[in-house]
Amino acid sequence: MSAERWKEDEVLLERLRKGAPDAVNELLRLFQGKIFNLAMSILKNESDAEEAAQDVFMTVIRKADTFKGNSALYSWMYRICVNTCLMRLRGKRRNDTVSIEEFMPIFTDEGMHASPMDDWSKEVERKALNLELGQMIRKFTDQLSEKYKVVFVLSDIEGLSNEETAKILGLTVPAVKSRLHRARLYLREQLSRYLQEGNPG
Amino acid sequence: MNCKELAYMLADYFDGSMDLRLREELDSHIARCEPCMKFAKTYRKTCDKTKELRKDIEYQIPQDVRDRLENFVRSAALKYPEMVKEYREQVDRERREKVTALLSAAAAGRLSSITALLVETHCVKCPECKEYFDKRRKAGNAGAAPKAIESHVALLMESLPPDEEFFLA
Repeated sequence: MSAERWKEDEVLLERLRKGAPDAVNELLRLFQGKIFNLAMSILKNESDAEEAAQDVFMTVIRKADTFKGNSALYSWMYRICVNTCLMRLRGKRRNDTVSIEEFMPIFTDEGMHASPMDDWSKEVERKALNLELGQMIRKFTDQLSEKYKVVFVLSDIEGLSNEETAKILGLTVPAVKSRLHRARLYLREQLSRYLQEGNPG
Repeated sequence: MNCKELAYMLADYFDGSMDLRLREELDSHIARCEPCMKFAKTYRKTCDKTKELRKDIEYQIPQDVRDRLENFVRSAALKYPEMVKEYREQVDRERREKVTALLSAAAAGRLSSITALLVETHCVKCPECKEYFDKRRKAGNAGAAPKAIESHVALLMESLPPDEEFFLA
């Protein structure tokens, strides 16, 4: 984080603490798109995301006092957003998460690939498949359990670094890396199966 | 290195964080192992496709959602200082009531032994409070204490366990 950025965050927070109305506007201008996006990525539902975003902004305004400037404002806000979304997810009964273990690669006792491998990396470059693939990635991501989904959304969909994701979730970097890798292995397998079904033989 | 070990190292391999020595190991395995080559390619493609998706996945925040959110946050943020003020006033009120009750109990000689001990200990080093307590004991009347005394007494009560009654029934 640049010193300049840090200073801007600090100024904005100080204004928030004092209750300046234009600070609230500034906060909204800077973050409402990002927060809504992140909430949508996790919750996949517009009205849930809207309510989550409301909660996030209220929490930020309420806790502006307690924010310690040892991380960037956005990473603090992401953290609040992730927590808020997870609480909402947990509040809902969800039956549609899949077990990630079923989608891990399978190896022989000697550690060789046990199932035949199909290389679809060229094939998916066909334009016609692009939109469909995007939808599939979203659908499969959505089926991940929370443990993997949140890491995947922050790192691979939001594009944060593993260090940033770790900080937001309060995990170690190796823990983030391993969850992320498993989520990708899962997604690779899901896409393989999906593409195979579409192209028998 | 076998295929399984390789599969679990792919993240570092592709994000560039793997050191050269290990990378060469993986390169040479992939070069002679077709399943691993296919696996690595499709793994890489999975990551790339997700990355591409990042651009499209920007959910545009719909105008009505934006408006509602802004209205909600603005009005709630404006009300917030009032809520805080109200809360503080309420806390003050409750504190004042407790202190008054303690002072009355003290004047009537009905403090619990631990509270009496706390008050005594405090009065030894605080002439202001000592004078006030003495005065109250003689006068025996109730009434609000001056702010300074109130804050000292409130502090005293904080050393008591929560919900402990400070006076004898």
